[in-house]
Amino acid sequence: MGDKAERLVNLTVALLEARRPLTFAEIKRRTGFYAQRDPESARRMFERDKDDLRRLGVPVVVTDVAFGEEQGYRIDRRDYELPDVDLTAEEVTALAIAVHLTGAEGVHLGLTKLLARAPDPVPLDEPPPVRVGIAADAVDAVAAAVVTRTCLAFRYRAADGTVSDREVDPYAVVQRRGSWYLVARDHGRDALRAFRLDRLQGRPRTVGPPEAFDTPDDLDVAAAVSGPELAAVDVEVAVDAAARWAVESRGAVDIGRRHGDRPVLRVGGIDPNRDLPWLLGLAPGAEVLAPPDVAAQVKAGLRAVLTAHGASPEGGA
Amino acid sequence: MSATTDVARMLTLIPWLLERPGATLAETAEAFGVAPEVIRRDLGHLDFCGLPGLGGGDLFDVSLVGDRVVVSMADELRRPLRPTPDEALRLVLTVDTVADALGDDLPALRTAVAKVRDALGIPEDVADVLAEEGPSGLERLRSALHDRRRIRLTYQGRSDPAPTVREVDPWALHLQDGVWYLQGHDRGVEEGRIFRVDRVANVEVLDVRAEVAPPANLPPPRYEPEPEDPEVVLDVAPAARWLEGALALDAVVEHDDGRARLTFRTNAPRWVARLVLMTGGGAVVVAPRSIRDEVVRLADAALRGEVT
Repeated sequence: MGDKAERLVNLTVALLEARRPLTFAEIKRRTGFYAQRDPESARRMFERDKDDLRRLGVPVVVTDVAFGEEQGYRIDRRDYELPDVDLTAEEVTALAIAVHLTGAEGVHLGLTKLLARAPDPVPLDEPPPVRVGIAADAVDAVAAAVVTRTCLAFRYRAADGTVSDREVDPYAVVQRRGSWYLVARDHGRDALRAFRLDRLQGRPRTVGPPEAFDTPDDLDVAAAVSGPELAAVDVEVAVDAAARWAVESRGAVDIGRRHGDRPVLRVGGIDPNRDLPWLLGLAPGAEVLAPPDVAAQVKAGLRAVLTAHGASPEGGA
Repeated sequence: MSATTDVARMLTLIPWLLERPGATLAETAEAFGVAPEVIRRDLGHLDFCGLPGLGGGDLFDVSLVGDRVVVSMADELRRPLRPTPDEALRLVLTVDTVADALGDDLPALRTAVAKVRDALGIPEDVADVLAEEGPSGLERLRSALHDRRRIRLTYQGRSDPAPTVREVDPWALHLQDGVWYLQGHDRGVEEGRIFRVDRVANVEVLDVRAEVAPPANLPPPRYEPEPEDPEVVLDVAPAARWLEGALALDAVVEHDDGRARLTFRTNAPRWVARLVLMTGGGAVVVAPRSIRDEVVRLADAALRGEVT
């Protein structure tokens, strides 16, 4: 393996230093590699090396040379090199701490590349007493397509369980409340959609060339991930002591009425569909009194729980 | 570790060392997050790298003097290779998440994140972490940690019927996949405990210094099943499969109709019963009997308008 690593570094240097695209014969001459007796296997080895370099992000460009008779290979230094990042020592320290607090190993090399020519961090007495767990490698499957603006095709399981094949323009990756989303224009539906990355079935594949679309100027990723406009109604809930804090934590206020011996709280901004699970989970410590349709929805949900478990609702085992 | 990973590191090692003449092997290894032996091996390879063809004079000059690394004649690689899309997105999203989590604890991180986004060409409309307003007790917990104060928590444990009051010496806040946890020493049981901040009903910062220091390596707040924790089996309809995100599952068996059978262990059966209730019939408890009975009891009591 050592030979291979050396060969790849040397191939990179050779292609970076070339003033014009080099043919395979010239690469062989200059590097002394790919000198196998069998020209086919030498060529295959070179192709594998070239693909490995590209996977590492080394931009090997292939062009026609000798009037289209042959192919030439070159690395454009401007595409290879990361320009200097103007970071202060304090900012370098902050980045190092940030990565340290997450304990994430998958970001180490990226950070080191970025800081290779930056000042060294300043010593810090003690990191803040905060730890952050984030699985950013969740975005790997779509990262290259998003960055290079290449269309993607994948199989997707929607929230209602239906599975379908989608083809999209991937605009952005977004994390919200611990979940990862791909914000994209769905070709089939001709509409902006947010796909949860953990509901992609299998690995998505790219379709067509890079830079296939422009991201709309007015793209609002936050709105795309929040979904459609939600209804917001006031709900009145009778609560016992155990459930009271949970309702109050959503900003409920005591309206000074009682239902039996329980106080009645009013909580605003409730969407009857999105928040139904929350209301169901509070039962029986919190009873929805109004509006009537929301109260009926909760009761229907509770009856469905009993039916699903083979118990008959309201009376009798 | 594959040869290609080695190559990515070696291409970064050259500019890093050119910028830091006389760096020690240990410093270099720490900066790259690998063992010193790995760097030593990389250097051995790099000594055989350089401009092709024209004899020894064109190779990089890499040597180890004592434990200091000296690199010269390597100007062809004076700048680092650009991060790959994966690396760039991971890095931006990670540091952005931390910047949101730390708030004003580390102001230099905000400006650093902006510069990193700019350098990597990843604006917020390509990759973003949507900051949520933290749970209501968070700021008070931050200040208690900052001032090293003991706190009095009113806390609704997952398996407690009602909130209880505990005194805690706080150790650290932990944001794990979007959920805030407090780790600290519970004075009542004299043990380390993990609290979900969104289950904290009230925080009082006491005028007492926190006494018990955190252990050297604070593990992340993750549920590790004990042998006596029961195994739970749920059948879930497609519409209730969001449950999978709320549970640490041992097994998922897919059925043809989109339903699935979920298996996991829990130390909080009452909490599992509430989760099942939340699905409004979309999830059915197959086992154990005790959780099934609890689900039926809760739903039945609610429909009868009984006060528990």
